Amino acid sequence: MSDLQLIEQTLQAAARRRRRERALRGLWQGLLVGGLIFFVTLGIYKLAPIPSWVVTAAGIAGGVAAVVGCIIGGWRKTTVEQMARWVDGRQQLQERLSTALEMAKGPGSETWRTLLVTDAAAHAKELDARRLVPFTLPQVSRWALVVLALAAGLGFVPEYRSKTFVAKVADQKNIQDTGKELTELTKRNLQKRPPAMETTQKAMETVSELGQQLSKQKLTRSDALKQIANVTDRIKDEMKDAAKEPAIQRMEQAARSPGGENSPDAARLQKQIEQTQKQLGTPNGSPEDMDKLNKELNKIQEAAKAAADKNGGMSQADKEKISKSMAALSKQAQQMGMQMPNMDQAIQALAANQTDMFLKDLQAETQDLEKTKDLAKSLQQMQQQMEKMGKDLAEQLKNGQPEAAQDTLKKMQDQLKSANLTPEQMQKMVSEVAKAVSPGSQYGKVGEKLNQAAKAMQSGNKPGAGQSLAEASKELDKLMQQMNDAQAMESELDGLNRAQMAISTGQSWGQCNKPGVGTKPGGKPGSGVGTWANEDAGWGYDGHQTQRWDNTGITRPDQKPRGVSDRGDGELNDALKPTKVKGQFSPGGQMPSITLKGVSIKGTSSVAYEEAAVAAQADAQSALSQEKVPRAYQGAVRDYFDDMKK
Amino acid sequence: MNTEEQIASFRQNYAALRAEIAKVIVGHDAIVEGTLIAVLAGGHVLLEGVPGLGKTLLVRTLSEVLDLSFNRIQFTPDLMPADILGTNMVMETASGRREFEFQRGPIFAHLVLADEINRATPKTQSAMLEAMQEKSVTAGGEIRKLIEPFFVLATQNPIDQEGTYPLPEAQLDRFFFKLVVGYPTGAELTEVLTRTTEGARAQINKVLDRETLLELQRLVRQVPVATHVKDYAVRLVLATHPKTDTAAPITNQYLRFGSSPRGGQCLLLAGKVRALTQGRFNVSFDDIQAVATATLRHRLILNFEAEAEGITTDQIIAQILQDVPRDAATVNA
Repeated sequence: MSDLQLIEQTLQAAARRRRRERALRGLWQGLLVGGLIFFVTLGIYKLAPIPSWVVTAAGIAGGVAAVVGCIIGGWRKTTVEQMARWVDGRQQLQERLSTALEMAKGPGSETWRTLLVTDAAAHAKELDARRLVPFTLPQVSRWALVVLALAAGLGFVPEYRSKTFVAKVADQKNIQDTGKELTELTKRNLQKRPPAMETTQKAMETVSELGQQLSKQKLTRSDALKQIANVTDRIKDEMKDAAKEPAIQRMEQAARSPGGENSPDAARLQKQIEQTQKQLGTPNGSPEDMDKLNKELNKIQEAAKAAADKNGGMSQADKEKISKSMAALSKQAQQMGMQMPNMDQAIQALAANQTDMFLKDLQAETQDLEKTKDLAKSLQQMQQQMEKMGKDLAEQLKNGQPEAAQDTLKKMQDQLKSANLTPEQMQKMVSEVAKAVSPGSQYGKVGEKLNQAAKAMQSGNKPGAGQSLAEASKELDKLMQQMNDAQAMESELDGLNRAQMAISTGQSWGQCNKPGVGTKPGGKPGSGVGTWANEDAGWGYDGHQTQRWDNTGITRPDQKPRGVSDRGDGELNDALKPTKVKGQFSPGGQMPSITLKGVSIKGTSSVAYEEAAVAAQADAQSALSQEKVPRAYQGAVRDYFDDMKK
Repeated sequence: MNTEEQIASFRQNYAALRAEIAKVIVGHDAIVEGTLIAVLAGGHVLLEGVPGLGKTLLVRTLSEVLDLSFNRIQFTPDLMPADILGTNMVMETASGRREFEFQRGPIFAHLVLADEINRATPKTQSAMLEAMQEKSVTAGGEIRKLIEPFFVLATQNPIDQEGTYPLPEAQLDRFFFKLVVGYPTGAELTEVLTRTTEGARAQINKVLDRETLLELQRLVRQVPVATHVKDYAVRLVLATHPKTDTAAPITNQYLRFGSSPRGGQCLLLAGKVRALTQGRFNVSFDDIQAVATATLRHRLILNFEAEAEGITTDQIIAQILQDVPRDAATVNA
């Protein structure tokens, strides 16, 4: 290897190493720059409400800066000449290497060239690339680590946010969540009740779009409420148009009445009634009587328990007293047509001084009575439903039972098709159809079709009559679809109201009850009653489940009410009984008071209740008319003060 | 003798010169080195210092170690150019005829000591211009070549001393180096006193003859200079030019005129000599830096502000050396 080659080789090795060293240095420099960017951004984020994605972006920028620094550092290749100059400077070689390289390649004296190269090679031999370019952590790395440590520390510092900003963020999140819920609700509605009419479809799509807008756009509370109000008004207008149809009104009323919508047909209901009667036997008492009986039995049970827990067990006097009460109760049950075998056994056990057995039998009897009461109640409800069920086509149409009416029409069509239709049957059918013309006229063209059918039947035109009946059935079907659309719209409106309430009150969707649900007399229980599952997870209100929800009459001795309650006279402590009837006290009289947390209303009334109520109603009306009450609360406020009038 | 042997001989001779001079001159290493560099590069030297510091002694010693002809001119205010250059005189020939004959002045020598040069008037000082640059003398309408090698080693008192005339810029520029002779240290002074007040007188030997010196001067010019080193010298010179793009900030503030190209030539030549004296075959940045002050200090003309503030050219050169990076983009690139 010539001297020149030796010099070049040494310099190339050093150049490669220097390139790597520069890449490493660039990495640290980039890390420092990136760290500073991240640190500063994080600092700003901790103080000012910039979006969190900026911090993420700064973090990414920091990483990118490190990579870019590394690339920039290692990108530039160092030529041998540059390296020679660098080594000359670093190793104090007095420009030997650079001059030798330059002179070796240029014109000049051969003698001087040889002298220069030999001298430079002698120095190059002593060079060690590792010692020349050591891979040590540069100064900048310490600063980079300090900055990164500071940034990490800053990460644990809680960010400062003004109350206004926090509220604004919570509002936006609430609006977005509400938007999602609204979209989801509409989606479910579309699946559950696919709209038949284009307007309904469009209305539902509008709600869905609104939900998406709320969930995606960053709207202020007022903007969101404005948009919801716009859509609500539009849907209300459309619903008003739909509600003008008397047939729809009737069907809706029928649907709202217990057992209205999705009610089983008469035959099935009759079958269910018979089955329940069979299970129940032949008691002639009402569920209320049975409830009273049950309460009496409970009292006896408690008295027996108390007597058994006394020192020395149950006394003879106690036994006699209990036995007497039980005998009276048994007699009362027999009068109601009920058999109480466990009661008799309990009386026998009491007589035989078998207290445990007595209590056990008493408990068994209580449970039997409970079951009997439930069955009686269920039977009563079914009978009420049966009573409301129209017996013929006219009644079905009158009661707003289009499904039952459709079934009847179907039967009539079948009868018309059958060959063995007697003239009496035909006559009966004609009179039934003719009777149904009047109520049918409330269902659009149904009355007209029924009239045509009646005429066709009278003239013996069975196919024509069948055709008219089928058209009437179709007309009913159409109306039912319209009603379905109206219900879907109503559901959407509920959703919108709920969204409005959620956004205006700042509460989450789940916390907002459906407006009006569960509070009005005859309404359905809303969420928050009992331990209801999340209705958003598919447990929405469904009419036919109402009876399962109704827990009136169910006694829970283990959960005795405490305080003022109207659940029964016997359950109230004497001390808790109100001395005055609410709303009946006169001026100057003592005002009953209860102690509330933070509020204590005491003193004497100065005005009559009626006057106070009228004044409050006037004030409420004024507040409502001046729109001082938020839109979402207007309905509730109006209802409350309307109830006061009653 | 091949180049390598020449270089070895150069170093030997240089070392011998230093050793012989050191027999007489105590201390003043930088001055001795500067003087020798100038001599080996074929340049003239201006030695400045207060009287009694050994300036004249140094030059005289140098004339003794070099086997060259030596003349001393004592500059006084009444000295005339003809006193330096020579003049035509009417001479009687052997046949009795009278004719003009040129009588050579003291300038006609290899080594001329211009002692206290700034005591002569500028007119007389200017008489040396042609001799120093062209190495020839024009007298009586005839150009007469001076014998090579030719050096002027001038001494001068500081400019602000009584009875001195500042050298014109053109004259100053002809000097290769301006060396400022300072006071000796305590140890040096002790040694000076010992040597000069006791009986023994140093025996000085001739080290270099004319031919050898010329050969060494030729060798010096062969020393290669890398482009980037040459570029550094150029950038240094350009940095002294006020009101230009290349000027250093301090230049614009304190200089009226910068160095001439001759300054750049001197930088490189001096660098070459220094490289050889240090056993190298190439000129380094250090060489250029080492000779920069002596080369440039008399070529820079201060402005009023600098004089008012007491700024010296040495301070400006030091700042320029700091400001101009060694490794930078080539000026011509």
